[in-house]
Amino acid sequence: MRRAVRALTLPLWALATLAMPLALWAAFLLAPEERVMGAAQKIFYFHVPAALVTYAAVAVLLAASIGYLWTRDRRWDNLSRSATEVGLLFCTLVLVTGPIWARPAWGTWWTWEARLTTTLLLWLLLLGCLMVRGYADDRDLGARLASIVGIVAALDIPIIHKAVVWWRGQHPVVFAPDKSESLAPGMAAALAVCTAAFFVLFALLLLLRYRVAALDERLHAAAEAARGREEIR
Amino acid sequence: MIPVGFARAAWIVAAKDLRLEWRTWETLSSTLVFSLTVVVVFQFAFGLGTVRELGAARLVPGVIWTVVAFAAVVGMLRSLQLERARDTLGALFLCPVDRGAVYVGKAFANLVKLSLLQALLLPLTAVLFGHVLLPILVPLGLVCLVHGIGLTELGTLFAAVTTRLGRGEALLAVLLFPAASPLLISAVKCTAAALAGEPLATVSRWMLLSAGLDALYLLVGLATFEFVLEE
Amino acid sequence: MTAPAESTEAIRATGLTKRFGSVTALDGVDLVVGAGQAVAVFGPNGAGKTTLIRLLTLGLRRDGGLLRIAGLDPRSHDREIRARIGLIAHPSFLYDDLSPAQNLEFYAAMYGVPEPARRARQLLELFGLAPRADDRVADLSRGMQQRVSVARALVHEPPLLLLDEPFTGLDAQAAERLGELLASLRRRGRTLVLVTHDLRQGLASSDRWILLARGRIAGEGASGTTDVARFESDYARLGGAAAGPSA
Repeated sequence: MRRAVRALTLPLWALATLAMPLALWAAFLLAPEERVMGAAQKIFYFHVPAALVTYAAVAVLLAASIGYLWTRDRRWDNLSRSATEVGLLFCTLVLVTGPIWARPAWGTWWTWEARLTTTLLLWLLLLGCLMVRGYADDRDLGARLASIVGIVAALDIPIIHKAVVWWRGQHPVVFAPDKSESLAPGMAAALAVCTAAFFVLFALLLLLRYRVAALDERLHAAAEAARGREEIR
Repeated sequence: MIPVGFARAAWIVAAKDLRLEWRTWETLSSTLVFSLTVVVVFQFAFGLGTVRELGAARLVPGVIWTVVAFAAVVGMLRSLQLERARDTLGALFLCPVDRGAVYVGKAFANLVKLSLLQALLLPLTAVLFGHVLLPILVPLGLVCLVHGIGLTELGTLFAAVTTRLGRGEALLAVLLFPAASPLLISAVKCTAAALAGEPLATVSRWMLLSAGLDALYLLVGLATFEFVLEE
Repeated sequence: MTAPAESTEAIRATGLTKRFGSVTALDGVDLVVGAGQAVAVFGPNGAGKTTLIRLLTLGLRRDGGLLRIAGLDPRSHDREIRARIGLIAHPSFLYDDLSPAQNLEFYAAMYGVPEPARRARQLLELFGLAPRADDRVADLSRGMQQRVSVARALVHEPPLLLLDEPFTGLDAQAAERLGELLASLRRRGRTLVLVTHDLRQGLASSDRWILLARGRIAGEGASGTTDVARFESDYARLGGAAAGPSA
C-alpha cells in the first residue's frame, strides 16, 4: 500500500505542474470573453471546478468514514482526514471566488442564493468534522466520532442543497437541459480543461496529505515505543 | 430474566429521563428562561418599528425556531451530560439491550421536553408579538411535532458525540445547526404558512421533506449511536 | 440458533490482547476461571487490570486471542453475556437525582427482571436501605451510596461478578461488610473476579490470585496457602520490578 502511494506521488506532481498552467491558459486564452460580464466571468473556470472537487472530496469522506467504522483500519481514517481538509480547502476557494464573481455580476458581494448558501453550510460541516477530531484526546475516539459526523454531513449535503434551492433560487443556471443556448464551444472546452486540472490537483493534495498523516502516525508509534523502552532501563 | 425487547428498552430509558425531569425540572426551567431571554433580545434586535411594520406572521416563525434551536442545544446536551456524572452511560452500555433502543429512548424523552417547551413558548410569543394561536393550534402543533422529531433525532446523536469529547454547547451548535438547516428552513416556512392561516397543504412539500428527514435521521442515529457509546 | 449449554467455565481467555494505539495494555493473557471460583487480580498501576475487567464486561473489543464467557462467544452472544455479568467499580453508576428505589427499579427493568419494583424493594431491605428508599441518592452518605451501587450490580443475580477496586475509599466497617457480602456470594456459587490493591482483603475473598504486570501474568497462586505477610513483602518486589507508568 505504502509503495503504491509513494509511486504515485512523483507522476502526480508532474501532471499537476503541467495541468495548472494549462488551466490558466485555457481560462484566459482559450475561452472567448463573455459578452455581458467580460473578463470577470473568467473566474467561472475556477469556481465551478472547485465546487466539483469539493463534492468529490465529500464523496471520498463518506466512503472513508464508512470504511473506518467498518474495518477500524487507521488508513481509512487517514484518508477521511485528508479528504476533510482538502475538501475544506476547495470549499473555501468556492466561497472566495463566488463573491469575487458576484460583485461585478450582480453588484453585491454576497447573496443568500441556493448554491452559495449550501456551500457555506458545507463549509461549516467540514469545519465541524475537523473540530471533532481536534477535540478528541484519544486518536481512535476522534476517528470514530469524526466518521459519524462525516457520514451525517455527507448524506445531508444533497438534502441541504434541495431545501435551499426550494427556499431560494437565482444561481446562474449554466447547464439547463431545456435551455436553447448552452455554453459556447470554446467555453465548454476551457471548463473541461480546468476541471480536469483541478481534479489532478485534488488527487495530488489528497495523496500528499494522506502521506503526511501516515508518517505522523509512524512517528507517534516510534515515540511511544522509545518511551516504553526507556522505562525498562 | 426476560430478554428486553427494543421498544420496551427504549420506553424504560425514556421513562427514566422523564422521571428525572419530573423530579428536577432542570431542563424545562433552564430552557424556558433562556428562551424568554432570547425572545426579549429579539425585540431589541428588531426594534419596535420593524416589528410593527413586518408583522407577527413574518417575524415570529424565525424567532420561534431560532429560540427553539438554541434551547434544544442546551436541553439535549444536558440530557447526555447527566449520564456522565457517575458513568451511568457506561452502565447503560452494560445492559443486555439494543444500544439503538437507548438512542430512541433518549431522543423520545428529548422530544417530549422540547414539545413541552414549545407548548409554553407559543402562547408567550402570541402575547408578545400579537399573533393568533387557538384557531391555528392544530396545524401549528403538527408543524412543531414533525420538525421537533428530526431536530431531537439529530440533536441527540450529536449531543452524544460532543459529550464524549467533553465539549459543550458551542461545538454542538456548530455541528447541529448546519446539519439541521433543511429542517429549520422547512420549519420556518411551515410555521409562516400556519400563522398566515394557510392550510398546510400549501407547504406540503416541506412537510413531506421533513417527514423524510425524520426517517433518515432516525436510521442514521440507530446505525451509529452504538459507535459513539463504545469504549 | 440455540445457545450452547451452560459451561462449567465462567471465563476462558487465551492469548487475550488489547492495544491502545501503539501501547499494548494486555499482551497474551491466559485466564481460566471455573464456575463458582473467586479470583483476585493484583498488580501495579498500568499493569492492565482495569483493561482486563473492561474486556470481560465486553466494554472493550479485544485485538487478539480467544474469549469465552460462560462458554459463549462475545461476537455472537453479546447480549446473553451482558445479562450474566454484574460490575462494581469506582463510579457508582447511579442517577443522583433519583431515589435508590427508582435507580434499582430502572436497572432491574433494563435487565429484564420480572416485577422490577418488587426486586428493588427486596434489595433495599437486604442492604438495610429501606428507610432511605425514596430520598435522592445525592442526599445519602457515601457509604449508603456504595451500598446502593452494589445492590445495583446484583439486581439481576449475575452468575459472574466483576469488581474493580471495590474496597478503595471504604472505611473499615464498610470494607468488612463488603467482604462479608463477597463471602456470602461465594457460598452461593457465584463467580468472582476481584481487582484490588488491598492484598489482605483480596486474599481473604478469593480462592486464587494472579499478578498482572505490564500486560502479562507475572505470578499466580492459591489464596488459601499464601502467607499474607510474606506475600505483602514479595508483592513489592514482584510488582515493583516490573512497575510501569500509571495508567
